[in-house]
Amino acid sequence: MNTTTAVAPRRRRRLELNASLVVGIALTIGFLVIAIVSFFWLPSNPNIPNIKNRMLPPGTVDHWLGTDGLGRDIIAQLMVGARTSILVGAGGATISLILGTIAGLVAAAYGKIADETISRGADIMLSIPGMVTALVLAATMGSGALTTIFALTAFFTPSFTRVIRSAAMSVLQEDFITSAKLYGRGKLFILARHVIPNIAGVMIVQFTLYFAAGILTEAGLSYLGVGVTRPSISWGMMLNEAQQTVGISSPLAMWPGLAIVIVVLGLNLLGDGLRDVLDPKLKRRS
Amino acid sequence: MAIYALRKLAFFLGAVFVASLAIFILIRAAGGNVAAIVLGKDATADAINALAHAYGLDQPLPVQYFNWITNMLQGDLGQSFRTKESVAELVTARLSVSVPLALSGLLLGLIIAIPVGTYAARNVGKPSGAVLALISQIGIAVPVFWAGILLSVLFGVKLGWLPTGGWIDWRESPIGAIRSLVLPVLSLGLIMAAVLIRYVRSAVLDVMNQDFVRTARAVGMTRTQALLSVGLRNAALPIVTIVGLQIAELIGGTVIIEMVFSLPGLSRMILANVAAREVIVVQSTVMLIIIFVIFVNFVVDLLYGVLDPRVRNAA
Repeated sequence: MNTTTAVAPRRRRRLELNASLVVGIALTIGFLVIAIVSFFWLPSNPNIPNIKNRMLPPGTVDHWLGTDGLGRDIIAQLMVGARTSILVGAGGATISLILGTIAGLVAAAYGKIADETISRGADIMLSIPGMVTALVLAATMGSGALTTIFALTAFFTPSFTRVIRSAAMSVLQEDFITSAKLYGRGKLFILARHVIPNIAGVMIVQFTLYFAAGILTEAGLSYLGVGVTRPSISWGMMLNEAQQTVGISSPLAMWPGLAIVIVVLGLNLLGDGLRDVLDPKLKRRS
Repeated sequence: MAIYALRKLAFFLGAVFVASLAIFILIRAAGGNVAAIVLGKDATADAINALAHAYGLDQPLPVQYFNWITNMLQGDLGQSFRTKESVAELVTARLSVSVPLALSGLLLGLIIAIPVGTYAARNVGKPSGAVLALISQIGIAVPVFWAGILLSVLFGVKLGWLPTGGWIDWRESPIGAIRSLVLPVLSLGLIMAAVLIRYVRSAVLDVMNQDFVRTARAVGMTRTQALLSVGLRNAALPIVTIVGLQIAELIGGTVIIEMVFSLPGLSRMILANVAAREVIVVQSTVMLIIIFVIFVNFVVDLLYGVLDPRVRNAA
């Protein structure tokens, strides 16, 4: 009991809120809620054309943000688009996080040869322009959510690997690791029991930032027509359709862009806020 | 320095090799019978075999890879199946669009980011610094193609000052070419600036807390003098590195911006050839871009070694 009371004040300090964290959490929760609601309720089917209702202006009853060139409701499309952003952005970030953590830990803990191989490999992958590779990937694998997740994984894994490696290396130099080794603990045990909990903060922050980067990249690929395709809906795809069918000056080219900015900003603020809370040493840097 | 340079050179060559292998496998793995796709469904088996034979597509993949690499090393990038144009010609024709776009975008990004980032670092903790940090945060969240769309709505549609898209060739009218590049460059540069401001700001913040800045202040320089005489020079090192890393991003942005403004640059050519299954054109063009990016990083690494003895003597 005594230990818990001793820990309590420190806990309170760690949960200290900052402006980016609060705004970030609010925007991100709003985004997640909209995506979840879209599974249970949509104003209308976002994929079925309704020519009678085409190009309704914003403010129309039943279509509050209007309809597109084929009469499909904009709000419904934006809601389903939120789903895609989460699926692809979080999907790509999660897989890269897992692969990057494994590779980073191996590089940090399993000797110089493993480290050199993995680090140089990551450097090489980082120097390949992702967008160009994604174009090629989409051409060979066909476009779609899975290809997009695959492309994101290819871009993000090397960065994750680098970050996890350097975080793990600094933990591995701590005295308690030496004592765990002297106690006879194996490498895997030390990594799982001591290193991972100590780099969890870094992992969470990186995940948030790459979730945001994933949404931006997905939107770009779908805008180019090599990302997500109908019946899935992506904000990038909506922008492409708006530009192709009704021209860029229509409000149709505004809403999806605004949605992307708000969501990406929310996740980036959340990531920065979490970094300040989880790692006070880094507070003043980026 | 020689050892440092050799190590970087070895890395450069290794990276080019790995990248070439990756690109080859990626493009050919899912390729199917390229000759049959290129000729369409009415082609006879003889015609397909003849085309495959003429381009060496009937040889085993490792042999094709080897031929491709040795030809590239001799300056032969291959040619298009349909139009018989050489890849070298196709690429050079597009460079007059893509290179000015990418370079001016980067330059504009730096011209904005270096003073603004420095100012934000000097005013950290004050409202002006916080506002700049927020603006850069919002800029990072704006997709580059949406920035392009907004700018062309404002300056192209509403004000009518500049074309919303399309391209006038340099030979036809240099002014026309520049006019078609203004909005694309602006979009690319503003988004690059948003990202770079953050890096410049943190690089300057780091330098301002260093001992040599304190010493400069102690001998009587003002904060601004200290920053200009010793601070910026030292902050230049991390900024150079970041620019190297941003080259890949820059090319990604250029690809998208060319589509937004329908500019006939490299990315449009790649997309069209991807759709037409011109594997040799795609493979060689993509490889050229990747070699360029890896080369820029190689040069940046070398520069870094020249500028900072600690880097070249480490490990």
